[in-house]
This record gives sequence, structure tokens and C-alpha cells, in this order.
Amino acid sequence: MQDLLAARSQMAVSLGFHIIFASIGMAMPFLMAISHYRWIRTGETVYLDLTKAWSRGVAIFFATGAVSGTALSFELGLLWPKFMEHAGPIIGMPFSWEGTAFFLEAIALGLFLYGWNRLSPWVHWGVGLTVGITGVLSGIFVVCANAWMNSPAGFDWVDGQALNIDPVRAMFNPGWKTQTLHMTLAAFEATGFAVGGIHALLLLRRPASALHREAFKIALLIGSIAALLQPLSGDRLAKGTAQRQPAKLAAMEAHFHTENGASLILGGIPDLQEKRVRYAVKLPTLLSFLAHGDFHAQVKGLEDFPEKDWPPVLIVHTAFQAMVGAGSALAALGLAFLVLSLRRSRLLLHRRFLLAAALATPLGFLALEAGWVVTEVGRQPWIIYGIMRTAEAVTPMPGLVYPFLLFTAVYFFLAAVVSWLMLRHIRAADREFPSASSAEPAGSGSPLPEGSHA
Amino acid sequence: MPEIPAGGSAMLWVVILFLGVSLLLYCLLAGADFGAGILEIFMGRENRRAQRDIIDRALGPVWEANHMWLILMVVILFMGFPLVYSSVSTYLHLPLTAMLIGIIARGCSFTFRHYDAVKGRSQRSYTLFFIYSSVWTPFWLGVVTGALVPGGIDPAARGYLEGYVWPWLRPFPLALGAFTVCLFAFLAAVYLIGESPPGALRRRFARRAAIASSVAVAAGGLVFWAAERDGVDLAARFMGSGAAAACVVAATFIMPVLWAVLGQQWGWAARMLAGSQVTLILGAWFVVQFPILVKMGNGRDLTFFNAHAPEATLDQLGIALIVGAVLILPALFFLLRVFKSSESPASGGH
Ligand code: HDD
Ligand code: HEM
Ligand code: HEM
Repeated sequence: MQDLLAARSQMAVSLGFHIIFASIGMAMPFLMAISHYRWIRTGETVYLDLTKAWSRGVAIFFATGAVSGTALSFELGLLWPKFMEHAGPIIGMPFSWEGTAFFLEAIALGLFLYGWNRLSPWVHWGVGLTVGITGVLSGIFVVCANAWMNSPAGFDWVDGQALNIDPVRAMFNPGWKTQTLHMTLAAFEATGFAVGGIHALLLLRRPASALHREAFKIALLIGSIAALLQPLSGDRLAKGTAQRQPAKLAAMEAHFHTENGASLILGGIPDLQEKRVRYAVKLPTLLSFLAHGDFHAQVKGLEDFPEKDWPPVLIVHTAFQAMVGAGSALAALGLAFLVLSLRRSRLLLHRRFLLAAALATPLGFLALEAGWVVTEVGRQPWIIYGIMRTAEAVTPMPGLVYPFLLFTAVYFFLAAVVSWLMLRHIRAADREFPSASSAEPAGSGSPLPEGSHA
Repeated sequence: MPEIPAGGSAMLWVVILFLGVSLLLYCLLAGADFGAGILEIFMGRENRRAQRDIIDRALGPVWEANHMWLILMVVILFMGFPLVYSSVSTYLHLPLTAMLIGIIARGCSFTFRHYDAVKGRSQRSYTLFFIYSSVWTPFWLGVVTGALVPGGIDPAARGYLEGYVWPWLRPFPLALGAFTVCLFAFLAAVYLIGESPPGALRRRFARRAAIASSVAVAAGGLVFWAAERDGVDLAARFMGSGAAAACVVAATFIMPVLWAVLGQQWGWAARMLAGSQVTLILGAWFVVQFPILVKMGNGRDLTFFNAHAPEATLDQLGIALIVGAVLILPALFFLLRVFKSSESPASGGH
């Protein structure tokens, strides 16, 4: 395996692994805070059980997120020293704030997990919320750094050197708002549907369980709100991409020829030789509208760029379709959930709906990983868009395939262990908490008569 | 020795201060966490469960926060001294990778051991991973630090071994790795005295601390020996600087006091003394190294003054660190107060 390819693959595996834990670390504290709040307010034990059951699972994710993030902060240098040498002083600022946010998060987490009998209920609740707020801030800071790689700002590039560095302008680069918003929503959406889906599955097995019912509702509420906002934020993001990284947009759409009133392509297989897409559905003029807000606007095609500056079209196009497809499915599910909830409909806990939610369990994370592939692979061959090529940034050390294999093995092993631990955790929670198997009156009024949909 | 330019920017000094303090606190706090894992190897059969519970309770709430000092160092290096970060991570790729694997294994196994819902046979595997990664990680941390000193890192080197292996596979870094392991075990034993109830357990940790301190002194001797082998005139440099010599002398004089205190099993006094010793040793090290960060084989050493980022970057870094400290220190204090002040869990609120 070529060294550059090994480095890229190692980065992809490490980030793809970390992002799952990071997203859970951003969103779960808020789910727990809702349940915790209801416990303090209503005193119903189902909420206490739920908060505790969730927090034990989350502790495992947190630790895994922290160590994989630590590995990443070294890997940036281990794999891309030339990039960091130039980018460090420019884009270090969000990382230094991220350090502060992590630190506060780690402190708050220790207080939250071990604070059950030591803190007063509201202080404890606030500490839990702090974990979530600092987690989201961490995510925002690091995505600011990534947005800078996509839309570099805050320096002058003269003869391969960065001059007149302005870290503040680099951090608040043109892409930061849209990208951090989209990422934050993605974390809530992916986590909400994954957690909600698992509890839906458990509800199918034990329809009487008050714990799983409340968990399902809280998780899907968060996921659904995010899912409805996500297409709007994605649309804003795509408009920015069209402006600042036209080659990436063209690859996302497999849009080969520059044209006015360009059509949106759904699905299909890009054929690089013939410069066209086979088996695709075309929606006339829609791409022009989505990219520029005007049905007749010109959209640049890949042909406008030298072929050596093309991102891998097949990967980027497929990943983009996967993200938007999964996002649309989740938005539909989320809409259904919100409508049913507002009407307090019994259908919310109908077998069919629970089954749909259970089937949607992996979709959010699938979209999230696919979205990152769009962003990162779509930026190729650049590591800093238009400034530095990925090939120039890679470490000169030969034999990179070995660290790649090592990290891949470690992460796959860890993923297997964490999944196994979660299974054990769910089974144990079912045994330990009475509310997991019995129907406790759940205050906020589930209209559901016990076991009616078994 | 490179010149120290007069009046470097004030923020540069702030950044240097934070880098030094982070290193010190990482050694003291995270060092004790790693050391606890090392001590588990020597736990013996008697009271095993009770000892492990003490370690679990002592580390659980704080290890992630303690670990953050390392992240802070990394961030300071890549934002404030980018050339140092990129050279170190290029030429010390292998030992850094080894250390990372250890960090992953230690953090995960410790958490899994505590949070696995079923306390069954898998506990043995977690413990095995936990104790061996607790030895492995500090060893490589020491190796990486040691490799910055003898000047083995050389961008002009040709060949894989010359470029990526010999810079760290040599006497001084390896000896420093071994010393780091012993030092962390010593810190942990001292720390755990105060975490255990009076009686057999406390006595046990005090005895471990006394043994570990002797082993650490021996390993320290090894470091000096290895330094001579490696062409680093460490002894001469320590004695050549008044401040460094004073630190070393003070650290030595603390030794008998510490032993006396260990005999009495005074947890807090022992912590203070051991902490001062490590501070003095690191201080002496800092003085003799200053301002060199990485000694390079090609003679172009990287120093605090020739490898730092531009002014605008240092300003932002300094501000972030100062604001961060204002936010973090009270929070950290609160964490320690909640978990360390009361021996028994308080039932009620504050
Ligand atoms: C739950 C996850 C999720 C869902 C449902 C969506 N996205 Fe997304 N998308 C992400 C998760 C994500 C992401 C993984 O979080 C990315 C990668 C980088 C980023 O900030 O967000 C992303 C990147 C990303 C980009 C690349 C931006 C760039 O690199 O320049 C575009 C254009 C969109 N998204 C657009 C959309 C649209 C139009 C969606 C319509 C439904 C959509 N996304 C749903
Ligand atoms: C989109 C990408 C990323 C997001 C949203 C993100 C977000 C997060 C979040 C929320 C956490 C806390 C996780 C938890 O406590 O479970 C975390 C941990 C961490 N991340 Fe990431 N991260 C991303 C990528 C990166 C990258 C590229 C780096 C390296 C430069 C990195 C470095 C770290 C570190 C060092 C930690 C550990 C902090 C600790 O010990 O608590 N992350 N990340
Ligand atoms: C956590 C979500 C992320 C995922 C899943 C992800 C995924 C990837 C992938 C697949 C690659 C390889 C692309 C290729 O070479 O074809 C890559 C490269 C890279 N990513 Fe990301 N990325 C994420 C976030 C980030 C963030 C937040 C940063 C920076 C702060 C970052 C920095 C990099 C760098 C430096 C490279 C290597 C250079 C390159 O290939 O362009 N990534 N990432």
C-alpha cells in the first residue's frame, strides 16, 4: 500500500471512529438532562432509573471518545506534519479553546457520574447540563478548524509561507457558521434516532416498559427536531460549497458539464470516461436553484477544472446521495413523530411506528459518516483548499501501512468490545430497574393502556 | 548554548509558563493515575479487592480531567511551537504511536472495568490491559521526552533506522522511560496513602511508597549513567548551574523527611513532600535545558525563541490559556473538594 493512501486511510478510520463517540458525547447529556429534570420535578422513579441507566452507558462512550480524540490530536502531526507546521499557528486558536471546553467537560463529567449522593439535585442537574454545553462547544471549535481547511482565511500565502496571520479571522472563516450548525444538528439527529431506535426495539419486546417508553419519546423528540432543521441547514451549506468549492459541489452532484439551468441528479453511477451519469433520475433546473437560488443560474461542471484537481467523483457522489437519502427518510419519520406527539396519538406506540423507528436506528450515523466523506474526500486533492495538497503534507516516514493496520485493528476491536458492553448494559438495566419491565404511571400522560399493542 | 534574546514578547513567557505547568501537573496528577495501575501488579493476594476498590474510587472521578494536561501540552506545542510539534511527531513517530496505543488501552480498560454491567470473568482481562498499559504508556512518554535531549533527531539523516529509530532507541531515552515508570509508581503509592482508611491498607501503601522511592532513586542513577553513555553531560550541567544544583540538593534533603513521614503514614504531608520533590527535579531539568526544546543532530536546535509562532498567534494562545485557567481552576478545585475533602460520601447537598 502506498504511504499517502495509508495515511489517508488511517485518518479516515480514526476520525470515522471518533466522530461516533464525539456525537454521543455532544447529544446524550441533553437527553439525560431532560430525563433528570423530569425526575427532579415529578419525583417519578422511572425518570431517575432512566437517567442512571443512560449515564452508565454514556460513561463508556465518553472514555472511548476521550482516548480516540487524544490519538487524533497526535495523529494530525504523525501523519500530516507539514500541514500542522503551517496550519498550527493559523488555526490553533479554536483548538486552544477546544482544550478549555474539553477540560471543563472532563471535570463536569467526573462530578456528574460520581456526584449522585454528593451534590444537591439541582447542582447535579446543572453539572450534567454543563457536560452537554461544553461538549457541543468542543464540537463547534473543532469543526471551525475543519471549516478553515475548506475555506481558508486569515493569512496571506506567499511562496509557500503563511504571512500576516490573523487567527481570529481564520477561526471565523466564511464556512464556520453553516458547517458548525450542520454538524451540531447532525450529532443530535444521529444520537436521537440511534437511541430512540434501540428503545423502540426494546419496546417491541416489552410493550409495558415505562422506562423504554419514556426513553423512546425523549430521544425521538430531540432527533426529530434536528431532522426537520437539518435539510434547511444542509441547503445553506450547499450554497456555500457552490460558491467556495465549486469542484466539490460538482463532484457531489456528478455534474460534468457547466450549464445554465442545471438539473439535479438523483442516484446513478458516474462514468468518468464518458463524462456522464448512467441510470440517474434528472430533475431539470433544480440544481441551479439549490446551488444559487435561481433556476437559470450557471453551475460549474467538473470539465472546468483540470482533471488532476478532481476529487474522487464516485465516492463523493455516492456519499452525498446516501446522506441526503438518509436525511430525507429521517425528516419524514421525525415529522410523523412530532405530529403524532402533538396530537397525543396512540399510534406513536403502535407496532408499525416502533418498527419504523427501530429500522431507522443506524440511519443518522450513516448520514453523518457519509456527510464527512463528502466533506473530506470532496476536498481532495487539497488538504487546505486551493493552498496545499494532501500529498505535500504527508509525513516522510516510510512504512505507513503498519501504523494504519495497527490503528484499524485497535479501533475494530474497541468497537466490538463497546457494542458487547452495550448489550450487557441493556440486559442488566432490564433486570435492575423495575420500571424497565413494568408500566409505572408516567405522569406526562401516556395515552397508552398497558400492553394494548403487544 | 543559544542566546536568550532580550525582552521576548510577554505572551511568549505566558505560553512557556503554561507549558511548564502543564507538564508538571500531568506528571503529578496523571502520573499518579498511571502509577496506580503499576502498583496493581505488586498488590499481592491479601486485601486485593479492597486495594482495587481504593484505586477505583481514587481515579474514577478525576482521571479524565488529569489526562487533559497532556492535551493542553499538545495544543500549546502545535499552536505555539509548530516546528517542534512537526519535527517531534515526524521523527518520533514510532514511540509516539506506542504511547498512543497505551493511552487508548489504559483509558478504555479502566472505564470498562468499572462500568461493565456484569462483573464476571471479563474483569480479569480489563485488569490485565489496565496494569500493563499503565507501565507501557509512561515508559514511552519517558522515551519520547528523553529523545529530545541527546540530539539524535536529525532531518539530514538518510535511511529508516537513522531517521526514525536511532533517535530514540539509545541509552538516555530508554533510561528516562524506565525512570518515569518508577517515578509514577512512587507518586501513586504516596497519593493512595491518603485515599485509604487507616490500618493495614494505609500501612501497605506507605510501605510501597518507601520501596518505590528507593527504586526511583536507583532508576535516577541509571539515567545519569545512561546520559554519560549518550554523550549528555547531565551531571556536569546540573552542577554547573546554581539554581539546578540547589533544586537537586533540596530534593535530596527531602528524602529522609519523606521516609520519616511515610513511617507515620501522614497522607497529606507525604503528598506535599513527594510533590515538591518532583517539582524540584523537573525545575532543575527545565533550568539546564532552557531554552532548548529539541536538540537537533544538525546543530539547529529548536528553542523557545527560534521556533515559536508569530506574535498574533501567541497573543491568542496566551489569552485562551489565561481565560481557560480562570474557568478551569475553580472548577477543578470544586471537583477535588467534592471528592477529596470528605472521607465518607456526604449525603445531602452543599
Ligand atoms: C445526521 C446527519 C446528516 C444529515 C441527515 C444530513 N447531513 Fe449534510 N453533513 C453531515 C451530516 C448530515 C455531516 C457529517 O455532519 C457534515 C460533514 C461536515 C459537516 O459539517 O457536516 C455534512 C456535510 C454536508 C455538506 C458538505 C459541505 C462541504 O463540505 O462543503 C453538504 C452540502 C450537506 N451536508 C448537505 C446536506 C443536505 C442538503 C442534507 C439534506 C437532507 C443533509 N446534508 C443531511
Ligand atoms: C467533527 C469532528 C469532531 C467533533 C464534532 C469532535 C467533538 C468532540 C467531542 C464532543 C468530544 C468529547 C467527547 C466525549 O467526551 O465523549 C471530543 C473529544 C476529543 N476530541 Fe474530538 N471532535 C472532532 C474531531 C476531532 C479532531 C480532528 C481532533 C484532533 C485534533 C479531536 C480531538 C479530541 C480530543 C483530544 C478529545 C478528548 C478530550 C477529552 O479527553 O475529553 N477531535 N471531540
Ligand atoms: C469527525 C468527523 C470526520 C470524519 C469522519 C473525517 C473523515 C476524513 C476522511 C475520510 C479523510 C480522508 C480523505 C481523503 O484523503 O480522501 C480525512 C482526512 C483528513 N481530515 Fe477529516 N474527517 C472528520 C473531521 C475532521 C476534522 C474536524 C478535521 C480538522 C480539524 C479533519 C482533518 C483532516 C485532515 C488533516 C485530513 C488529512 C488530509 C486530507 O486527506 O485532506 N477532519 N478525514
